[in-house]
Amino acid sequence: MSNALRSLQKRLPSLALTTSLLLLAGLTAACEELHPRDAYQHPAADASEVSAWFYNLYLVLDSIIFFGVLAAFFIAIVKFRKKPGDNALPEQSFGDSRLEIAWTIVPTLVVLGITVPTLGGLFELAKRPDMNQKIIDIDVTGKQWWWELDYKKEGINTGNEMHVEVGTQVMLHLTSADVIHAWWVPRLSGKRDATPGRNYPLNFKPKEVGSFDGQCAELCGASHALMGIRIIVHPKDGPDSYENWVTRMKQAAAKPTTPQQEAGQKVFMNKGCVACHTINGLSELAPGARSRTSGPNLTHVGSRDYIAAHTLKNSPDSIATWVKNPQAVKPGALMSNLGLTDQEASDVAGFLTSLK
Amino acid sequence: MASIADFAAAQKPIYHQERPSKTGLLDWLTTVDHKKIGILYGGAGLFWLLIGGLEALLFRIQLARPDQHIFVGDTFNGLVTMHATTMVFLAVMPMIAGFSNYFVPLMIGARDVAFPRMNAFSWWTFFAGSLTINASLLFCGAFPAAGWTGYAPLTTRDFSGMPIDFWWAGLTLLAVSSMVAGVNFVVTILNLRAPGMTLMRVPVLAWMMLVIQFLLAFSFPPVAVGLILLAFDRTFGTVFYATNMGGDPHLWQHLFWLFGHPEVYVLILPSMGIVSEILPVFTRRPLFGHHAVIFSGVFIGFVGFGVWGHHMFTAGMGPIADAAFASTTAIVAIPTGVKIFNWIGTMYNSKMTFPTAMLFAISFIPMFTLGGLSGMMHASPPLDLQQHDTYFVVAHFHYVLVGGALQGLFAGFYFYLPKITGKLMNETLGKIHFWVFLIGFNVTFFPMHMLGNHGMPRRIYTYPADAGWNTENLIATSGVFLMTFATLVFVYNLLTSLKKGKDAGSDPWDANTLEWMTTSPPPVHNFDFTPVVLSERPLWDHKYTPGFEIPVPEKAEEIHMPSPSWKPMWVSGSAGLIIVGLLTFNGVFGIPGWPLCIAGALGIIFSVYAWVTEPV
Amino acid sequence: MSAHAENLTHDDAHGHESHGALSENNFLGLPNIKLAMWAFLGSECMFFGSLIGTYFFYHGNSLGGPLPKDVFSIGITSISTFLLLMSSLTMALAVDAMKQQKPLTARTFILITAALGACFVGFQVVEFHEFYTEKHLVFAGANASLFGSTFYTMTGFHGTHVTVGVIWLLIMSVLITKKKLVPGKEAVNVEVMGLYWHFVDIVWIVIFTFVYLLEFLK
Repeated sequence: MSNALRSLQKRLPSLALTTSLLLLAGLTAACEELHPRDAYQHPAADASEVSAWFYNLYLVLDSIIFFGVLAAFFIAIVKFRKKPGDNALPEQSFGDSRLEIAWTIVPTLVVLGITVPTLGGLFELAKRPDMNQKIIDIDVTGKQWWWELDYKKEGINTGNEMHVEVGTQVMLHLTSADVIHAWWVPRLSGKRDATPGRNYPLNFKPKEVGSFDGQCAELCGASHALMGIRIIVHPKDGPDSYENWVTRMKQAAAKPTTPQQEAGQKVFMNKGCVACHTINGLSELAPGARSRTSGPNLTHVGSRDYIAAHTLKNSPDSIATWVKNPQAVKPGALMSNLGLTDQEASDVAGFLTSLK
Repeated sequence: MASIADFAAAQKPIYHQERPSKTGLLDWLTTVDHKKIGILYGGAGLFWLLIGGLEALLFRIQLARPDQHIFVGDTFNGLVTMHATTMVFLAVMPMIAGFSNYFVPLMIGARDVAFPRMNAFSWWTFFAGSLTINASLLFCGAFPAAGWTGYAPLTTRDFSGMPIDFWWAGLTLLAVSSMVAGVNFVVTILNLRAPGMTLMRVPVLAWMMLVIQFLLAFSFPPVAVGLILLAFDRTFGTVFYATNMGGDPHLWQHLFWLFGHPEVYVLILPSMGIVSEILPVFTRRPLFGHHAVIFSGVFIGFVGFGVWGHHMFTAGMGPIADAAFASTTAIVAIPTGVKIFNWIGTMYNSKMTFPTAMLFAISFIPMFTLGGLSGMMHASPPLDLQQHDTYFVVAHFHYVLVGGALQGLFAGFYFYLPKITGKLMNETLGKIHFWVFLIGFNVTFFPMHMLGNHGMPRRIYTYPADAGWNTENLIATSGVFLMTFATLVFVYNLLTSLKKGKDAGSDPWDANTLEWMTTSPPPVHNFDFTPVVLSERPLWDHKYTPGFEIPVPEKAEEIHMPSPSWKPMWVSGSAGLIIVGLLTFNGVFGIPGWPLCIAGALGIIFSVYAWVTEPV
Repeated sequence: MSAHAENLTHDDAHGHESHGALSENNFLGLPNIKLAMWAFLGSECMFFGSLIGTYFFYHGNSLGGPLPKDVFSIGITSISTFLLLMSSLTMALAVDAMKQQKPLTARTFILITAALGACFVGFQVVEFHEFYTEKHLVFAGANASLFGSTFYTMTGFHGTHVTVGVIWLLIMSVLITKKKLVPGKEAVNVEVMGLYWHFVDIVWIVIFTFVYLLEFLK
């Protein structure tokens, strides 16, 4: 074995080089992939722009330091090897005070230089926005494993998919109903914990129209991975404007128009769905009560892009899969398995899909 | 020129011992010898390193492709939780304890630690704790799954099952073990130094061990309190973490991170010490700026207690607290930078050779630098709001803990194992281990920086195919296989070296410090005579500096060696009994567990009495 | 050098062994066991600091149950505080007697200290009982409040420390009786116990001042 091993040993450094190049190639390939959640390349709100600015600053600084250290390191390795046969001791130097003082002072200055703008950025992000402008206020409650979104002023209660307006200040008030969650949509803002018993603000002003995805960023139990968020930033005018969305959402749920939808509505009302889900105009509580909120409000569920908190693309088929066995889709899901038949499931799916 | 052969001429010391040492298995159960306890710790650390690595391999397989269903939900979370808990508490810490136990007394010229039986107690308590944490798989069929940080209220009865009980129980035992060991080693290093070994002549590794023992002694109590409160909540129904009763989840986070951040330095400082010991040997120069390296380590230890809040920037402590913690955290960069520059300074104008120990030691420098620099990013709250709890952070702390701490420990194994076994490890296998590990490590963790930048949070068991994380995840997983292979090569090398390895002799590396003046393996009493230390490199100067020879006394020394004892195990066992009593407090099959607590308490009183009255 | 060399023949100095070379001359000139106690007390500072910190972190957060002002009765607690303070005095006298080669006097003071400590624990048991039954301050379960949980845990751990101290003192008096703990080199063992006892005492002073008295400041 030893000869083969020894020749392998000789080839190891070049093997390392080859692998590094392969890795580099792989990572370059990865860069070709689309990165819809990249916070630094394409920040789309004021808050994420601050973070991205700091990222670039630190990246430049860190690169200078790292490659500097690396250069010194490799020069030493290449230059100061023991030559065969040279058995004399190298110079026995115990240090150099001037050099050491220098390389203590320089990092100190770098640290000072970087901490000052950092604190500036920190206070900038913590600043309370101007309250005289138009503000979209949304109460966000993290729940295992979905987000309840409550637009108090507008009187809209929905889940997981947040709609806001470009160029308008958004103010989230984050809390949780059970364990700690964290709200994170990278391209719009940094993350912030949704902590039970506490209520934190998170402010950002979107600058781009479009859909932005994110998810819970604090381990919150079995389906932590499946607690997605989508923020849809609407334009100010046009048919797709934020105001139009608000108007649509304030309407009660659509009435069933086909026999399947009617059957589905019956299943919804009689099989237990209604115990946790609200459909405005169909299953309200007593007057005054806002909504049943153990599960998301389904008044306009048909208009959402995803169901089960960004887990399945919204379609009659996926709704049927979901209601038949929620735990198979989302481990530990708190939604009951009601033992629906295939027929019932597809009826309910047809009904819910119709709730645009 | 003097040589270490001079020492062989010394008179063997005359022993006094109350009871003869046992043989075979009984010897290992009753030993109070720091070297044997060190081997026990090191062996346990290696075992758990393999287990923790296996856990990582399993969950990386799950993450190799999007939308996989191999380990889902709490199975995955359990693997992640146990990977971290195992690596931190059961692999790296015991390996550090192993080095600390075996080498600190040797390095400072002592015959044992200050309290040998307390040392055995620490080991047995650690042993009980390590089994307890993992016992949840046996009794509940599941691992604790709330993350190694165990953020309340996820760990409370409302949201987590029995496995969390095993988690707090095991960690509490480990906390006790570490605090006792901390006190023991603080006394050992401060008080048992050989004559002439002033603090500035204490080897850097022993210095770093001194710093971490202080950190252990002072940082474990907060988390012990946090765990006790959790245990009370889960066992008795107190309301510390009950948010519906006014409880605040920040309490746990403060208590945990007040421990957690010093703990990070506990993991890294010993490896910095190992690097600082190995570099001078293979560059054949003194450590450049020896004092600065020591002081920066001490400084890191101090600052370590004031930075815990940087783990909580997203938790909403308010901008003032965030600013304070951001500033203190940034300061850590200064002593760290000083260390790195001093190491590189040591390499300049030297004549380096590159055995495996040296390769691991020098590759520590760039890898740790990279991890440290990404750490600087997290010290900045505006940036940390994006990076917190993402794969960027995962990459950061693996560069620090694998590229840093673990590589340092590997260097330590290649360097110090010959002293323990008397056999050199195979260099060819060692170099294969080094290169494959280094490559595998970078292939695994470098792409994680990009995953974090692309928005992937940590601890998620699956991800959608359209999130843009597919390539990097696949690359990362492939790297884990390389690391696994390398580690297996290492274990194979270690095991075969025990029998087939070349004889090491006392001083295979032509080294600097006292541990190399005695035989490999050292005798029970470590040194035939007490060395007198005249410089920071006593053995080097003995060999190369005329006038600095270590004098060999003519008369044999009389020494008293501690006798083997069962008492440490009794006390650990009684403490374990209390823990089992708390675990089953509310009854298992209708039998309440509280009598076990009383039995355990009485057991501790009884065995402590037996302990103090036992002649040693 | 030889003095230093001797201390390398140290042995397990934890307890009260009557033989062997208990090293008193060592590098710092401080006996191992004393240094260990100081380090341990540092650790204990962090422990009690965390417990007291928890109490104040939650101060005023209780959503139900009685308030501190409703349950504390300064008069009775002052008496038990006084007893504990006195026990520090007798502990110091015991240490002194041991140093002066008077083991039997030391034993007497040790027993008085233990008795005072036991009285303190007794007062605490009575206090807990009263708080629980009459003032409805509940530690755990359905009626528990944050104040109850934090208060009982903090003071309970202090009481446990006093109890451990009492047991330690009793063991010590037995050892003195059996002549297994004799003056001279082993006087340090009593001194170290004294350090522990004074520390526990100081912790109580902190708790009494900041937890009890401050409630009545306004």
